[in-house]
Amino acid sequence: MEPVIEVKSLRKTYKKRKTKELIQAVSDVTFSVNRGEIVGLLGPNGAGKTTTIKMICGLLIPDSGTITINGQNNQKKRLKSLRHISAVLEGNRNLYWRLTVRENLEYFAGNRGESKKDVANRIDELLVKFHLKDKEKELVNRLSRGMQQKLAIAVAMLAESDVILLDEPTLGLDVETGYEVRELLREIVQEYDRTIIISTHDMDVVQDLCDRTIIVNKGKIVTDDKVENLLRLFEVRSYTISLSALLSEKQQILLDQKFPDYKYTPDTIGSKLEIDLAKSEEIYDLFDILKMNMTPVESIDRGTINFEQIFMKIVKGEQQNVLVQSS
Amino acid sequence: MSWFNLLKANLRKEYLEMKRYLPNTIAMVLTFYILFIGMFFGIQIIGDPTTQDINIQFTIVNYIFWFFAMMTVNAIGWQITNEAMRGTLEQLSMSPMGIWKIMLMRLIASTVINFIMIIALLYLSMFTSGQWLNIDVGTILPILILTIISMFGLGFIIAGLSIILKQVQAFLQILQFILAGLTFVPLSVAPFLAFFPFVKGVDLVRAVMIEGVTFTQIPMVDFLILGFNAIFYFVIGLLFFFYCERFAMNKGLLAHY
Ligand SMILES: Nc1ncnc2c1ncn2[C@@H]1O[C@H](COP(=O)(O)OP(=O)(O)OP(=O)(O)O)[C@@H](O)[C@H]1O
Ligand SMILES: [Mg+2]
Repeated sequence: MEPVIEVKSLRKTYKKRKTKELIQAVSDVTFSVNRGEIVGLLGPNGAGKTTTIKMICGLLIPDSGTITINGQNNQKKRLKSLRHISAVLEGNRNLYWRLTVRENLEYFAGNRGESKKDVANRIDELLVKFHLKDKEKELVNRLSRGMQQKLAIAVAMLAESDVILLDEPTLGLDVETGYEVRELLREIVQEYDRTIIISTHDMDVVQDLCDRTIIVNKGKIVTDDKVENLLRLFEVRSYTISLSALLSEKQQILLDQKFPDYKYTPDTIGSKLEIDLAKSEEIYDLFDILKMNMTPVESIDRGTINFEQIFMKIVKGEQQNVLVQSS
Repeated sequence: MSWFNLLKANLRKEYLEMKRYLPNTIAMVLTFYILFIGMFFGIQIIGDPTTQDINIQFTIVNYIFWFFAMMTVNAIGWQITNEAMRGTLEQLSMSPMGIWKIMLMRLIASTVINFIMIIALLYLSMFTSGQWLNIDVGTILPILILTIISMFGLGFIIAGLSIILKQVQAFLQILQFILAGLTFVPLSVAPFLAFFPFVKGVDLVRAVMIEGVTFTQIPMVDFLILGFNAIFYFVIGLLFFFYCERFAMNKGLLAHY
């Protein structure tokens, strides 16, 4: 598979206007994205997601490192590389509030050098797809936030670029609208074969849409892996063990030393133990501890884990030692 | 073709926004008119009766020109400040056409639209004052076009400043007075001002409209100065704009939110 985007050793430092304090927003970020891939860019607030996206969009010049889009360096061939890219940044604000839905689409197309006529059919198609057809003559400032967000995505789609970058597309939307936008994105992915990079805090977006996720923290990539691999990886290592007796004090102390995050729930007849293993071999250590008192084991189940929990674990660095690739 | 589409899109946007902000537009025209009436009667009451007609004619030309310059040069500053806050400036900056072309088309579009308004105001002022100026289109047009090109240069400088300065509003207020200075001061008072943006142009327009100078009576050197100013300010403005764009892309200033 050929990469559409290649990002190499990206670095960006901001200087705060007032305090002159330096903020390293992105330090040494390297990744590539293949054609047709949907990549989720995750990370806590201030991790450097927006900064990375803006550098790919050519809105921000990196201190060092290179970005190649369809084989073109986006510094040396800035305008040419911009032909392959469109983006929705910062939610619904990047629209003209005094223009109607249709006028916005036409104006942005015009600014890319296309005439109203060139895009008329494409606009109709998008308006139908985005359920905005009956609002096409509505001024943007009269639309709901969700509709504005959909329009912003439609504007990005209209450019027919290979790559679309979306910075927090479901931010500030209610559950229902968030769901609708997600469904829309899924349709786009299935029907239009675009390459998409989505930055988000919304784990549903990642689990529903993304093939792969890149997790950044403090300007660095901490994980870059397929979503399913991460889910499997963490699932394999997460266990729920039902015991038909209680654990002794000594066993608990040993567990605490070996698995600091384990969860123990004693019950009237037995007890439950939830444990995350850093390495699969560690299960034997667990068995050794149980064997001490010959604690009867009733069942061992794989724990269920959702992406949110995985994300929290990774970011907290709890799993630092296993963050090397699973494959 | 893409240039043409770019121009059409921006003309349409300027027009639509003017229409949607109609109360604003009307308020602006009214302010203009009321101020003009004030000046007109002021001159009649306290002015020297022997030079009254000339004074009023001067006022009309200067005032109209000032208004025109403000609507083009100042407006682009306000527009960019707004768009940086909205986030649309970033969208424009991602156009593969390059943002300077979009800005140029914006300047042209707003000039075309404002020009129509200016003509109306000119006739309204002449009608009110009963002072009919010499509207020699064939002579005024070439002067005007060269002058407008230098005005665009100034527009680019303002646009650039508006991108990189967060508190540009205060400066834009002051700019109104600088523009007033440039349009109101007669060249005979300060000849060196000929090389300032559009001072020479306004001077020549005054010569045509008030003194009835014809095309052939204007010395070649005047056109050379106009041409030189047009190219000089346009190029300087554009270079400065490029510099600001790059500066903004380094510091992450394309969005002010
Ligand atoms: N223009 C700027 N000037 C100065 N500092 C900035 C600027 N933009 C971002 N930063 C800082 O750089 C760091 C990274 O910011 P960035 O917006 O890339 O994070 P993010 O991952 O997008 O966070 P969020 O999830 O909150 O959107 C933050 O500490 C932020 O305060
Ligand atoms: Mg962000």
